[in-house]
Amino acid sequence: MVIGGRQLTTRPAAPADDELGVRSRAWRVVVLAALTAVFVAGSVVGQDDWWPFSPWRMFSTSQAPTGAVIAMGLEVQTATAPTWVTAPVTPETVGLNRAEVEGRSGRIAADPWLLATLAAAHTRLQPSAPAWTAVRLVRHETVVVDRRPTGVVRNTEIARWAPP
Amino acid sequence: MTRFSRWLFEPAPLSRVALLRIAVYAFVVVDVLALHTSGWYHGFADPVWYQPLQAGRLLGLPAASVLLVEVLKWGSVGAALVAMTGRLPRATGWAVALTWSWYQYVAFSYGKVDHDRGDFVVALLLLPTVGIAHLRDDRRSQAAGFALRAVQLGAIATYLLSGVAKLRFGGPGWVNSATLLRAVVRRGSPVGEVFAQVPFVLHAMQWVLMVAELTSWVIFFLPERWRRLMVLAWYLFHAVTYATITIAFWPHLVMLLAFLPLERYRDRVVARWRARRVQATAT
Repeated sequence: MVIGGRQLTTRPAAPADDELGVRSRAWRVVVLAALTAVFVAGSVVGQDDWWPFSPWRMFSTSQAPTGAVIAMGLEVQTATAPTWVTAPVTPETVGLNRAEVEGRSGRIAADPWLLATLAAAHTRLQPSAPAWTAVRLVRHETVVVDRRPTGVVRNTEIARWAPP
Repeated sequence: MTRFSRWLFEPAPLSRVALLRIAVYAFVVVDVLALHTSGWYHGFADPVWYQPLQAGRLLGLPAASVLLVEVLKWGSVGAALVAMTGRLPRATGWAVALTWSWYQYVAFSYGKVDHDRGDFVVALLLLPTVGIAHLRDDRRSQAAGFALRAVQLGAIATYLLSGVAKLRFGGPGWVNSATLLRAVVRRGSPVGEVFAQVPFVLHAMQWVLMVAELTSWVIFFLPERWRRLMVLAWYLFHAVTYATITIAFWPHLVMLLAFLPLERYRDRVVARWRARRVQATAT
């Protein structure tokens, strides 16, 4: 093929200095076919727990152009600051990231004691920081109208834990 | 040999595999120590949060402990450092494949699976199959060609399968949804804030992305020069994604290197550097 006067086709492949035998080629083809099969099956019928063959579903859900974008957050109290302050939900602070906590929000609502395990993990990971004396899970809804954030954010408490 | 077989086993320089291996194993070290550390922290989380994946149920893998995450972390770093020297490529390569994959498993078995890391397992599994590959060995080998082709196929499959996942989970209406806006609102960045105020741009990007993903396989039918331009275009796409929502699919970016004649780039850089040094000593 010639485009703009330039030869674009690849040169015919030079011969190999190191050829594979029939058997070496055969098992490689079998391995590749098996990998292809599990990756395709994972994408077509699999779920996240098929990892590493799970579907590539990053940003694959459809968000309605008008509605609310939901994000969960933690708020905590310490002995020195008995008012609610936002605490980052990261592996460094509670051993889990935000999506991992969000995915279990139903369970946390049913069993707020789970928030106590986050306070305990926080103490293990950051022993010098003030210990959390109360933890609550808050749901933030950012209102979106016609693909544009309106600036309105609604906050709702989902669960609360404090030692008895 | 059939045409397909000739294509799959198209000989490639061993030095290219040697360079790609350095990139892959150096990435493993950086990834484990700095980029993706949530697995390590799961060693500190209460086992009540452990949600075994299928692989864990099949193999009976336990919840993480501090000891387990330390062994996997330093095991993968140690094996990757030896693998970077090119010594014992099979033993060290497969040791990295095992420890890194298990470390990712620990990261993903607490309720959230990242969707960008499965393809790297292909690179870790198949790069060791080439055996010894020296940085200065420009002999063309079918084993090297196959490993590179497999990594290329893995990298491109992620685009195609991402498109498939969008159709499966989001439906055909995904292109007209507000999914990218949702991503921007949840993971805001200064660039993302700008895009959020211009809804048309994010909407158009969804169409471009879907078309690009579903046609990504075309890259294998393009002439060499166009193929490299397409790889460059994907790198640009990932750079924009990072600027907008601070998400980068790091292992995948390393795998895309399998499309490039790395040994020629290296020779060019070395030649330029030598010429500059000669010039500097002459003046």
